[in-house]
Amino acid sequence: MTTLLICLPLAAALIVWVLPMNPVSAGSLALLAALAEVGVWIQLLVRYDFAQGGLQFSDRHTWFSDLNVSYHVGVYGFSVWLVGLTVVVMAATIAYGFWAGRERLRAYMGLMLFLNGAIVGVFVAQDLLLFYAFFEAMLIPLYVLVGVWGGPGRMGATLKFILYTMAGSLLMLASIVVYGLSQHTFDLTQIGESSSQWIFLGFVAAFAIKAPLFPLHGWLPDAYRESSPEVAAVLSGVVSKAAAYGFLRIAVAKFPGPAHDFRAPILALAAVGLIYGSLLAFRAPDLRGVIAYSSLAQMGLITMGVFAVNDLGLDGSVLQMVNHGLVSATLFLLAGMVERRTLTGELGRLGGMARGRPALATVLLTTGVIALAVPLSSAFAGEFLILAGVFQRGWGWAVAGAVAIVLAAMYVLRLVSAVLHRDVGPAVSDSALDLRPAELGVTVPLLACLLALSVWPAAITQHSFRGDHGAADVAAQFK
Amino acid sequence: MTALLGPEISWYLAVSGFLFATGALGVLLRRNPLIVLLSLEIMLNGGNLALIGFSRNLGDGGGQIFALAVMAVAASEVVVGLGLVVALNRKRVTLDVDRLNTLRG
Amino acid sequence: MVYGAWICLLSPLVAACAITLGGTRQSRRAAGYLATASCFVAFAGAVAAFIGLLGRQGGDRQIISTAWTWITGGSYQSGLQILIDPLSVFMMLVVSGVGALIVWYSIGYMDGDDEERRYFAYMALFVFSMLLLVQAGNLLLLLAGWGMVGLSSYLLIGYWHERPSAVAAAKKAFVMNAIGDATMALAFFLLIQKGNSLEFGILGGQFSSTVANLVALGLLGGAVAKSAQIPLHTWLPDAMEGPTPVSALIHAATMVTAGVYLIVRTHAIFEQAPKIADLAAGLGALTLLVAGLIALVQVDIKRVIAYSTMSQIGYMFVGAGVGSYPNAMFHLMTHAFFKALLFMAAGIVIHALVNEQDIRKMGGLRQLAPKTYWAFLIGSLALVGIFPFAGFFSKDSILAAAMAHGGWYGYLLWAAGLIGTLLTGLYTFRLFFIVWWGEPSAFVREHFHPLRRDVVGISLAIPVGVLAVLSVVGGWIQFSPWWHPVETWLQTVAEPLVSPESWQEWLSIALSLLLGLSGIAVAWSIYGAKRLAVPRIAWAQRTLEHKFWFDEAYDAVFYEPAVFFANLLRRGIEEPIISDSGRDLGDDTRDLGGLVARAQTGLVRTYVLAIASSVAVLAVVFVIVK
Repeated sequence: MTTLLICLPLAAALIVWVLPMNPVSAGSLALLAALAEVGVWIQLLVRYDFAQGGLQFSDRHTWFSDLNVSYHVGVYGFSVWLVGLTVVVMAATIAYGFWAGRERLRAYMGLMLFLNGAIVGVFVAQDLLLFYAFFEAMLIPLYVLVGVWGGPGRMGATLKFILYTMAGSLLMLASIVVYGLSQHTFDLTQIGESSSQWIFLGFVAAFAIKAPLFPLHGWLPDAYRESSPEVAAVLSGVVSKAAAYGFLRIAVAKFPGPAHDFRAPILALAAVGLIYGSLLAFRAPDLRGVIAYSSLAQMGLITMGVFAVNDLGLDGSVLQMVNHGLVSATLFLLAGMVERRTLTGELGRLGGMARGRPALATVLLTTGVIALAVPLSSAFAGEFLILAGVFQRGWGWAVAGAVAIVLAAMYVLRLVSAVLHRDVGPAVSDSALDLRPAELGVTVPLLACLLALSVWPAAITQHSFRGDHGAADVAAQFK
Repeated sequence: MTALLGPEISWYLAVSGFLFATGALGVLLRRNPLIVLLSLEIMLNGGNLALIGFSRNLGDGGGQIFALAVMAVAASEVVVGLGLVVALNRKRVTLDVDRLNTLRG
Repeated sequence: MVYGAWICLLSPLVAACAITLGGTRQSRRAAGYLATASCFVAFAGAVAAFIGLLGRQGGDRQIISTAWTWITGGSYQSGLQILIDPLSVFMMLVVSGVGALIVWYSIGYMDGDDEERRYFAYMALFVFSMLLLVQAGNLLLLLAGWGMVGLSSYLLIGYWHERPSAVAAAKKAFVMNAIGDATMALAFFLLIQKGNSLEFGILGGQFSSTVANLVALGLLGGAVAKSAQIPLHTWLPDAMEGPTPVSALIHAATMVTAGVYLIVRTHAIFEQAPKIADLAAGLGALTLLVAGLIALVQVDIKRVIAYSTMSQIGYMFVGAGVGSYPNAMFHLMTHAFFKALLFMAAGIVIHALVNEQDIRKMGGLRQLAPKTYWAFLIGSLALVGIFPFAGFFSKDSILAAAMAHGGWYGYLLWAAGLIGTLLTGLYTFRLFFIVWWGEPSAFVREHFHPLRRDVVGISLAIPVGVLAVLSVVGGWIQFSPWWHPVETWLQTVAEPLVSPESWQEWLSIALSLLLGLSGIAVAWSIYGAKRLAVPRIAWAQRTLEHKFWFDEAYDAVFYEPAVFFANLLRRGIEEPIISDSGRDLGDDTRDLGGLVARAQTGLVRTYVLAIASSVAVLAVVFVIVK
């Protein structure tokens, strides 16, 4: 079933690219494939045995036997949730892209489907070279999607994005090769732990650029500003989680010694990113800027959770990965909807949109309120767990997190007020209608997932890692 | 094999080295491309001599055959080189290797 | 009984969801009825829970009902659970009862507003959040209710979102509450680290004094922010931007009293950290004096009542801080009655005067709105604590408890409370005489229009009437020297630390009554009979008008530096990283390429030399290695 999850979107991408069809058919086929993917995932979710945990639905075929490289895919408890996040967000973004009517829709849909398959591959790959292949495969469609369908500054944004990511990936490749050769296998389920700091740093560099972690975030603002809203949603919601997943699955699980030695500097960078991102989001002049910097802050928080390496931190970070993915995707889609109506994202030119647009106001306000982690929301649950976990590694980190709680309130409320409240802005005209049924159909399911998680966050936190409560031994999870 | 006649191998090597060194110095120090090509030939021949000397010494025919191959290569390389020099001359370009640097990076 | 408690909690939530999803398909009035009905159903559920508890013996009165596990983190877990015990039932009754009356009143008050449905959805959400807060079975869920209450407050203060002042006030309220949330969260992290649980029971566990002090301090931070005590009080006056019923419900009767509830609920840890408890009482005393002074110069009818709320909550903090928990809760209840009454009566006045709130334009309304006049008078007398009205019974027992706390600190608190009584009499009746006595002002004669006699009028009148009755008789439940059922009821949850002697009680009663009456007398002679003039001390006037410069101070210390720092970061770090990093990457790569390209000189000689030297080096290396 795991291979089906990867191949279904790839096959659909091929069909969309190769067969001659008009844009409507291409879009419908893509949407159908995305929804079918969600269906397959639901089946996976239902059939995964959470009581037992561990690697399930695994599929293994040898690739190079002399180096012990294989095609090995499978899911753990927490990867089930991350794959779920991917397929749900991709379905919503494909639907929105179809409805918004991008040019050259066939190529666009094919690329989105390919991206879908590549990201799912990252989360289920259990072989280092396969992981690397999928990690790089994510970049190809993104390069084209941002570079062709992006805004006016797209070439610079794409170039920066690719340069940064490739630099990290090359370091990761070096690490993979050295690690795999020294252990005589590339299979993540068989490879032993290593105490080499250089290999660890090679992996950390790649993931730190992808996440991104301060100060390697130079590609972030432009990439998020210039891409089309649904691509930004995927970038911020899902692709960044691939980096967090990498931190968890490889960096922390396989390098416990170096993870312990480097914990303080990495937590420091993450905490700085959290506060820095929040402060910059507070003063960002445009919609996309606020969401982009808040994304930087949240990834800092998630990284803090991962590197706390205890039950609270890890459970919290998995929950927060899913939360932030959904929230960020919804926010970017909403930003796209507002930009479509007002032809600008600048907060100074917006305002008063709540009048006469109850659906937009309700959806934006609800999403914003969850984004700032109002207590009782799932984002609060994740944030609370992460900070409780990090607190046990040093009270200073939790204090930084607490400051970020206040800052998050400030920047989200500023965003909401600037768009919805006060006087009607110069860019808002009466022809800017309320959310159409299709737009509601894209954002409301995402919100519904968030609200469901808010009612029962234990769905994720209790079902991510093996049931040895009290065990802070991450590596043991993967045996 | 019967007793070898003639000088010992060291004499052959000495002459070969002398030829090689002369050729090398010529390649490095002379400015006219024709002279450089000439010196190159002398270097090649020095190498050939060493090959043949060892071939005789060790009783292995491979050295002599390889010397023939070297001569073939030398001939083809001279054709190309001389052709270049003649073309340069026709274009009235100075025949001075220190001044021919259009292929710089 | 357990069902009753769950129904109490969930009924307003169901109403809020129904109104939100119903959208424009339902009429505005229907939304109002739905919200009101849900609150009355909640009250019925609370009564059922109360009766159920009455049937049990003292020690048996604690039931925890868990719906499901909400969150886990390794061995730590918290469930979605509600607690039914005397304290929570007490609060449930107050919140749902007063809430139902105020939501009913809103039907009349908000009639004609464009977005009534949104209003009632938010009000129902608020009532749910407040009930979640008081019924929470563990600290995490309490924090969840705490945050949701802050959210509802933001939504309701900023209800008229076309007004920039309302939007700004809403944001300020939320951010200051978020500061409280953050300190509470830090306290919880410490508790998880030491006890791995956030059940209420672990607060009774043994902690080192540092840990106890830190936890109590974190909880106090949250309480101070939510209850608008100094230093986190500046949001409350601005919150008057919201509609008057909102001020009545959230900023008088329920939300702002949540801080007092928190201290009483978590009293076990405050008892382990007596210095922090003293700090709580001290902040309460400071607030009651400062707020009382500021109320003397306010000209907006709602702001006077808002500062009076701040001041009265100061009394409750003094009560809770010295350990007189039942009295603090009793004063919470009576305060809910008369403060909501005052706000609602003020609301009727505001409505009648086409939304004018400046008291300088009012005057002589006594003849024009006689029933409202009596309601306002009852509320004011209850507030000052005049026998036989509600405030008399509750406030004085707090003063006696402060005296019984002992030491110079107890007497200091007691003196502050007494001065506060004088101030209360002064500012309350200043407001009363200015608005109601004298001749009708020009503005009043032009604009006044009486209440209608239809659904709107009824919905405005009856809740006010009910609360007026409660303000008269509600206090008789407990008279500390003689009978105290409230104390007995709450004893199993929060045993009071102090029991004042009879003479302390009677002395406090006598002095407080005396000072209250003197305050009224002074106010009468200045504003009623106009015999004296207000003393004009310029610097005092200016300081009070600027509310002791707190807003300006916070702006300078927190807001401006945050903006400055953020801009600095953007210009100094972010722009270089983003723009320059891309450009530098390109430039550096080109430079590196240029450097390498210098090896290609184009001269045959160089290349030959390179080959020759490398061969020589290799030969040497081989010879040596061999």
